[in-house]
Amino acid sequence: MTPSWKDNHALFLIIVGLLAWLVPGAGHFALNQRRRAAVICVMILLTFLVGLYVGSVGVIDPVGAKPWYAAQVMNSPVVVLLGRISTAGDYPVYARPNEIGQIYTSIAGLLNLLCIVNAIYLAHLQGVEGTDD
Amino acid sequence: MTEMTALIGIVEASFSRPMPIDTNPASMLWLLPLVASIAVVYKATKVRAIEPRAFAKDCVILFGSIMVFIIVAALILYLVAWVVAEQLPKIFG
Repeated sequence: MTPSWKDNHALFLIIVGLLAWLVPGAGHFALNQRRRAAVICVMILLTFLVGLYVGSVGVIDPVGAKPWYAAQVMNSPVVVLLGRISTAGDYPVYARPNEIGQIYTSIAGLLNLLCIVNAIYLAHLQGVEGTDD
Repeated sequence: MTEMTALIGIVEASFSRPMPIDTNPASMLWLLPLVASIAVVYKATKVRAIEPRAFAKDCVILFGSIMVFIIVAALILYLVAWVVAEQLPKIFG
């Protein structure tokens, strides 16, 4: 039994969403939107790296700052690895650098969530337009 | 090889110690790059096609709009804090 169009379409949307989460901009890249993908990738990575540079890896705290961590994980699964490094190592972070670092890395994650949703929506539109033709 | 090791050491050191940032009004300037990033990414998801000039113009307009809104919100909050902290105690003795 061959899978229906809807099953394939759902799988396509899931793959685009996963790609967009794995690497910021990769979802749009898979949809042949190269410029959009480049802008998203550069800006989100830059925002995330500035956050890490300002506050150190210690701003990713899966134990003591769970709400921030939930937003940070939206950047990429790599953040989980950074969280383990941060928990295992001794990375002191405090006061204003901690606040700024957490805000930058979390906003970068939330922006990537916006891009993930947008990539899935564009993939859905492409799929619908493709079948309507 | 030595240069490569030194480079890795510099990168690791850069991301393992926080920057020295004081808690003063100047630290609010860290808001600017973040607002720029939000404006660019948001516009990247909204425009139909990314044409450099039109895209840059849209981003600058959104950046300006966000900044104006933040400044107005800050002024209103400052005014409320001033009334509550300095004027109300005078009125009610």
